[in-house]
Formats: sequence, C-alpha cells, structure tokens
Amino acid sequence: MSELTWLSRSTRPRIKLTTSFRLRNTEDYPVALQLEGSAKETLEQGRNRLVIAGVVFAFCFVVLAGRLVGLAISGTGSEEQTVSEDGDQRPVTYGNDMRAEIKDRNGVLLATTLKTASLFAVPKNVIDPKELAAKLITVLDDMSEATILSKLASARNFIWLKRNLTPTQQYKINALGIPGLYFRSEEKRFYPMGALVSHLVGFTDVDNNGIAGVEKSFDAQLNGSAEVPARDVELSVDVRIQHALRDELSRHMSVFRAIGAAGMVLDVKTGEILAMASLPDFDPNRPGDFSGDSKFNKVTLGVYEMGSTFKTFTLAMALDNGTVSMEGGYDATKPIHKAGFRIRDDHPKKRWLSVPEIYMYSSNIGAAKMADDVGPKQHKAFLAKLGMLDKPSLEIPEIGAPILPPRWNSLETMTIAFGHGLSVSPLQLSSGIGAIVNGGVYINPTIVRRDKGSVVTSRQVISAKTSNAMRRLMRLVVEKGTGSHAEARGYLVGGKTGTAEKVEGGRYKRDALITSFVSAFPMDDPRYVVLAMLDEPKGNAETHGFRSAGWTAAPIVGRLIARIGPILGIEPVDEDSDAVQKAMYVHINSREKKLASF
Amino acid sequence: MKLNVTALSIILVAVVSYGLYQLSYEVQRLETDLGVLKNNISENKEDLRILKAEWAYQNRPDVLQALARKYLPLLLIAPYQVASIDNLPDESTVVSTLDVPLPRLNPKRDYAAPVKIPSGSIQLATYSSPGETQ
Repeated sequence: MSELTWLSRSTRPRIKLTTSFRLRNTEDYPVALQLEGSAKETLEQGRNRLVIAGVVFAFCFVVLAGRLVGLAISGTGSEEQTVSEDGDQRPVTYGNDMRAEIKDRNGVLLATTLKTASLFAVPKNVIDPKELAAKLITVLDDMSEATILSKLASARNFIWLKRNLTPTQQYKINALGIPGLYFRSEEKRFYPMGALVSHLVGFTDVDNNGIAGVEKSFDAQLNGSAEVPARDVELSVDVRIQHALRDELSRHMSVFRAIGAAGMVLDVKTGEILAMASLPDFDPNRPGDFSGDSKFNKVTLGVYEMGSTFKTFTLAMALDNGTVSMEGGYDATKPIHKAGFRIRDDHPKKRWLSVPEIYMYSSNIGAAKMADDVGPKQHKAFLAKLGMLDKPSLEIPEIGAPILPPRWNSLETMTIAFGHGLSVSPLQLSSGIGAIVNGGVYINPTIVRRDKGSVVTSRQVISAKTSNAMRRLMRLVVEKGTGSHAEARGYLVGGKTGTAEKVEGGRYKRDALITSFVSAFPMDDPRYVVLAMLDEPKGNAETHGFRSAGWTAAPIVGRLIARIGPILGIEPVDEDSDAVQKAMYVHINSREKKLASF
Repeated sequence: MKLNVTALSIILVAVVSYGLYQLSYEVQRLETDLGVLKNNISENKEDLRILKAEWAYQNRPDVLQALARKYLPLLLIAPYQVASIDNLPDESTVVSTLDVPLPRLNPKRDYAAPVKIPSGSIQLATYSSPGETQ
C-alpha cells in the first residue's frame, strides 16, 4: 500500500516515508520514502542493476527481432529438419526407396515393385463372422466360407486373411464395410511378362531380396543403399524376339514330345543376348509352385555334349592353322578304331571326303582325322581361346562350368572334334559360333543393354579369311547338307546340326538324344546367332520317324528366323541373285563317282 | 514526447506481433498444403506404377499375338513382302497401261460431285480442310 516515487535527477534523491495512522484513508496520503547516506547508495546500486538487466533483455529481444526479420526476408532456415522430423508425412521420394524396375532393351517392364494391400482380421472386433465370410467370398472367389470361418475362430488377435490383394479387390472389400477387417500395406515384386523371361529375370524371396537371375546379380543396384539410390536395370533382351523364340520352342517341344528345349539369339557384333529361353519354365510371380527342374536354366547352367556343332570349331581350327585347305580332305571310307572305341559316320559316304563335304555330310571320321592332324595341344589351346574350357562370365548367377575330359590326348581330341567328351553350355557354344562367323572376334556375351557406339572388348581368335570360309561352309549345310530344314528364304541362314546321345551315369543313352542347331544369319554379313536345342525329341510321321537335329531342331531355327528377321530389321535378299551366289560360293572338290550319262 | 514514444512503441509492438502471428499462421497453412501435395504426389506415383505394370501385363506378346490372330487378317511377313523405296515402280508405269479392269461407279448409288483438282499438279492427301492453300 505504498508508492515509490522517483524524483528528477536535479533534486537530491531521497525517499520520503510518511506512515499513516488511519489505514482506511491510505490513498489520500501518498507514501514518500526519503533516504540518505548508505541507504541512498544501496538504492543507487539497485537502480544500476535494474538498468543493466533491462539492457540485457532489450538486447536479447533485438537479436530475436533481427533473426525474425532475417528469416522473413531470406526465407531460409532449418526448415527441412522440422519436416523430416514430422513422422506423419511420407517422404516425397516415394518409389525411390522401393526396389527398382527391370526393363528390356525397348523399355518394356519385366519386373516392378507394387504396393499392395493385405487383408487381416481382428476377430474380437468382428460382430458376425458368418456374415463376414458370406460377404467376403463374393470378392475373394478363391477362398471358401469354411476357411474364412475357421480362420476367424482362432484365438489370436491378428489373422491374415489374404496377402497382396489387387486394387479392385481392396476397393470392393472396403465397399463391403465390414467391421473387424483391416488392410496393411506391403510391397510385392510383380513380373508382368510372367514366364516369358523367367530364367533371365529370376525372382525374389518374400522380403524382396533377389535369389535368382538378374534379381540376384543386380540385387545391390536394384535395392540401392543410403548413399546410392536404386537404379533400374536395362537388359539386352527384346521381349518380341524372346516371345518368338519361346513360342517356337514350345511348339516344337510338343510336336516332337521333347522333355525340354532351350534356345537363344545373340548379337554377334555386340555380344548382347536378345533372347534366351529354357523350357520348361516357371512363373516368377509364384516360383514356389514350380519344380526345381523348371527353374533350371538349360542355356547357361546346363552343360551338354553338343555333338556335330563342334565340327564348326574343328574346321575353323584346321583351316586357320593351315593343316588342311578347302580343297583338301580325308579318307572316310572306314570307321576309325582307337583304344577300343569305334568312330563311325551317321551318314556314311564310304569314300574320300573334301573339307566342305566333311562339314556338309557331318562326317565324324573326317573331323576326327582333321583334329588329330592339328594335335591335342593346339586343339585345347584353340578351344580355350573360344572360351569353351572356362566357366563363362555372364551377369546371372546360374552359370555352369564346362566338363573337361580327365586327360586330353589323341583319342579325346578325336572325339571332341565331333562334339563328344567335352560338355559345354549352349551359351558357350553360341558365343563361340559368334566369334567364328563375325570375322573371328570373340566378344563376351552380356545380358545388359550396350549403348550404341560403346566400346566392346574383344579378342581375335581366327583370321577374317577363315571366318569368311566358315560362313560359306555353314551356308552350304543349310543349302545342300543336313540343315536344309532351317532355310528361311531371303535371310541367308547358315548353320550346323548337332545330334548327341545323352550321357547318363557315365554311359551314352541310345534312346535319348540332345539335338541342337546353331546358326547365324544373314550369312553374307552375320548379325545374329540363333541356337535351338531339344532335349529327348521323338520322331513323328512328319519326320519319317527321324529325330536327328536336321529334322527336329533345324525347323525351329528356320521358322524363328523368318519371324524375327523383320523385327530385327534384316533386309531379305534374293538368294538366287548372282551377287549372293558368288558371295556364298564354295568349291567342292568332290571325288564322288558320278553316274555316267549317255 | 514521452507519450509519443510510448504510444509509438506500443503501436509498433502491436503491428510486429500481428505480422508475426500472420507469418506463423501462413507458415502452418503452407506446411499443411505441402504435406497434402506430397501425399498426392506419392499416391499418384503409386498409381502410376500400378498402371504401368497393368499396361505391360495387358501388352504381353502372347496376348497380342492371340488378339492379332483373332481380329487381324495378318500373317507373318514373307521375305518377298519386304521392299525398299527403290523397288517402287517409277511414275511411267501408270495404272492405265496395266491390263487391269478399272473400278467403276455403282449406277444405283448417288455420288457427291467430284472435287475439282487444280490442273498441273498432283494433290496429295493432307489433314488440312479442303480449299485451304498449303
């Protein structure tokens, strides 16, 4: 009830204190305080302290105001932090934290990740389980009322009813408006192409980690990490060609009642694999429903004795070495007996055969003698140069290593010359043939798209001249030899058949064959290698009961090339024109006894 | 003077605090907007992903092949059907020289009067309206 009065500086500061005796009228008598001496000093000190405190506060406010003005003008501050700390908001980079996509060379989607809703129930919140089940089966037609009821009868608090619903299903279930049902968002890997590129793309486990194919080998890139964002993978595969290949393979597989088939299309100039199929295959959307046999990639993981297709390498080696010329030849009158083995011809001519004839009629005797002339050491070195003796490198984990003979002497060289005793994968065979026809340059195959003009590492394995001769010889096989069924008019197909008996338990199985046809087109300037292989084909009436490669595997290649030629932009040529005839001419130095005609 | 300073500072405080509150509310509103926009973007991206997958699924080569077989009278291209522009016959081979019956008008039908073609030039089909000069 007192008032402190400050007097002006000119007057002596003093505090007047007048006490009132009548408390009721305090307001009428202002209390004045007057102090002298030490009291005055104390007051002075207090005042000073007050002023200092006031200045400090004022300074703080000025700083705050300045900061505010600064923020209002510049608009920058630690805004990002406040946003990211806000747990309710989803980051705008949605999709980048999900597993990236796999695309084909034209950008067609092969694998993607989708956010799907999974339906679960909390039984204690369900009012009428019977009604729920009855309503739910109208949407989820693959579930029965009884299964839903038995699930709801469990004592647990949380029951999955169905994982990974489609958006339509989710919408319909939401529209049903049943209490006790909830959704949880999950990520699911989805393969729109189904089984079409299954072996290449591979698949993932439930946690979206790649466990096969490209999904596994590019797992780190597809998932990304804290530092590196996930990136899409662009494969060299073209789905149109892949479809044509798979379609032809499966058609002929059923025609010849084969237990399996494999094939691939390879660009010989870049090493890109445009298509690769292995049948039977599987749907990567539900890999668990398929047996291990269908997940086996016959093209890269399977190794087989390829049979006569290996004669291509034998001839290329002999011609490149100069041990024999195109005019030369070998006597194929009698089978070769060596170390208890008998090497005989399937189509015996019982006469001297020139080099083109050995290839054309697929003479085992001729090829064996030819390789023996070159010698085991050089033979081995030549096949090693073509990548036949090492595990090939390709960007998928399912790669099979070739099976080499325990020792490599004269006998082994003779058998390997016509494709027995050395097991390689169809992938190795195709890339080897690619090197033979493209001018003699070995290019490592790849399944990742190569940009135009990018440098391709390669190594010269045979001379361009030998390569040219081999092209003519391969064309000759289709024109006049065992591969005539592979003809696709206008595309100058050349190739080589290969029929081999399957090895089971260390013995050859007479009744089980692996037939293959490896080809390249167009033969005047090869662009693509096409390989087709059938596992245990059976002859039918149309093939007169034959089941050799010329009857079973060659037609696949012929039909396939006619189908994919226009897609690949290969211009058909007139095969009877002089220019083509000249380019493909082979002089056959035949000593066949012609029937005299008078 | 004292009064003026006091009044001025009070007014200043009022103005500044009004401005501050306005700014604060503005920031809050913008942040809400930003959140909504970000949600929309991520939802759209999610939808886009699904639609892309759906598009790829509906365009599977085997489906297209089955549809083409059903609805299009197309077969595989035979080599003789592929030609380059050089293979086209030159202008001298006109239709009238070929021994082919020319199509005639159906006498039972009423035809619109033929459009006059300016002489001296060949008119090619265009998407512009008739009469318009190119």
